[in-house]
Amino acid sequence: MGLFTRSAAAEVGVAPSVASPTQTVQATVTTAKPIDKVTSASLDWGYTNFYRYHWAGRADSAAAAANDSMWLMGEVGTNYGGDRDTEDWVSVTKVDLPIGTREFTGGSSTFRVPSWAPASSEPLARWSCRLTVERSGRDVDTRGDFTVVIGTGDVVAEEGPLERVAGSGETVIDIALPSPVYRAGETISGHITLTPQLDLPDGDLAVSWQRQRQSHPLVKSPSAVGELDGRIVPLGKRIPLRAGTPVALPFALPLPPDAAPTATAVHSSLSWFVQARMFYAGFTSHSTERVRRPIVVVNAP
Amino acid sequence: MTAVQPPNPNEPPPPERGLTREERGRDISAAQAEVEAETSARKKFLKSMSPRLVLSQADGYPVVLKQFIQFCLIIIYPAWVFAVLVGGAFYFAFYGVFWVLFWPLRAWMKKNRPEEYAASKKK
Repeated sequence: MGLFTRSAAAEVGVAPSVASPTQTVQATVTTAKPIDKVTSASLDWGYTNFYRYHWAGRADSAAAAANDSMWLMGEVGTNYGGDRDTEDWVSVTKVDLPIGTREFTGGSSTFRVPSWAPASSEPLARWSCRLTVERSGRDVDTRGDFTVVIGTGDVVAEEGPLERVAGSGETVIDIALPSPVYRAGETISGHITLTPQLDLPDGDLAVSWQRQRQSHPLVKSPSAVGELDGRIVPLGKRIPLRAGTPVALPFALPLPPDAAPTATAVHSSLSWFVQARMFYAGFTSHSTERVRRPIVVVNAP
Repeated sequence: MTAVQPPNPNEPPPPERGLTREERGRDISAAQAEVEAETSARKKFLKSMSPRLVLSQADGYPVVLKQFIQFCLIIIYPAWVFAVLVGGAFYFAFYGVFWVLFWPLRAWMKKNRPEEYAASKKK
């Protein structure tokens, strides 16, 4: 033990360390030696929510627009406001622990993981049981973490609507998926149907997954939506597009094995999509078509 | 599409979530909202030069930083007014040319498509 390090006054252990919604977990608090001069002790079950926010300035002000123009001109050192990463604690259940003669020696509490619990993941939430011991001297604040995993049985999902992100719809692109729910690491096998509305130049089609993190803080100013695109899977470079002749192309799209599950928390939420994009051959006036269909990603084995 | 099961009556209800940037609407100061609500281009340019609008660009910054930015905004205020005047000069010069250029088209619309002409005047 170093000169300035001190052993934790109390430790919180949560068992089991991995739980599903509606499962019960137990926290056990142990102390190296009794903690004295205690006024109150409580266990707080909840999660730390990670999100981005616009830290200062008004997001749509004239100064923000001027800043964007200067950034486009190459003045990248300018900054008006800007987004930052942060975290906030979201309490679900708080339990007071008994203290006898102002001395705290330990305790335990059980917690039923709610059915609406957002799954644990690095970009969204970390579930914990926090111990707070208030005393006349230095307070004790420590936590025990556990992981919430979501399985296919924990979600009720219907097929989401197809969303046209870009393009003029000269080719109607449809993404057909056998199921709206996928496990992390699973390969999505579906097919894409292209229905050209007129005779068009050859198409270059590719699919990829997209993860979107929305910021919706209760108090702070929300940041813009953050999108992460997966590696593209090319389906064809020279697809003939003739009016009234639909083309169906199968695809196999692997999801990352460590994919953060679809979840909604208080300050942010994660959603997943399968997206398709198509370029037209040549320097023509046909704009890129881009569509996406929402999916639900789970991670329980 | 639902991503989770409906809440169970035996468990605490899910905590209320906040609003996204799209759900909150445009994030601008009251002074800027006043300028944007103005329909006349001339009044819009005039109001854009108001010191209130310039100082409101520091809104949403923490104390001390806000006062420092307002101090910087006061220093650049003459440049701001100059930029608005140059913008206005270009705007009205081009507007005048196009106003003359499209005179026949407007006259034709007024005579043959009076409803569409009236609707375009309201914009």
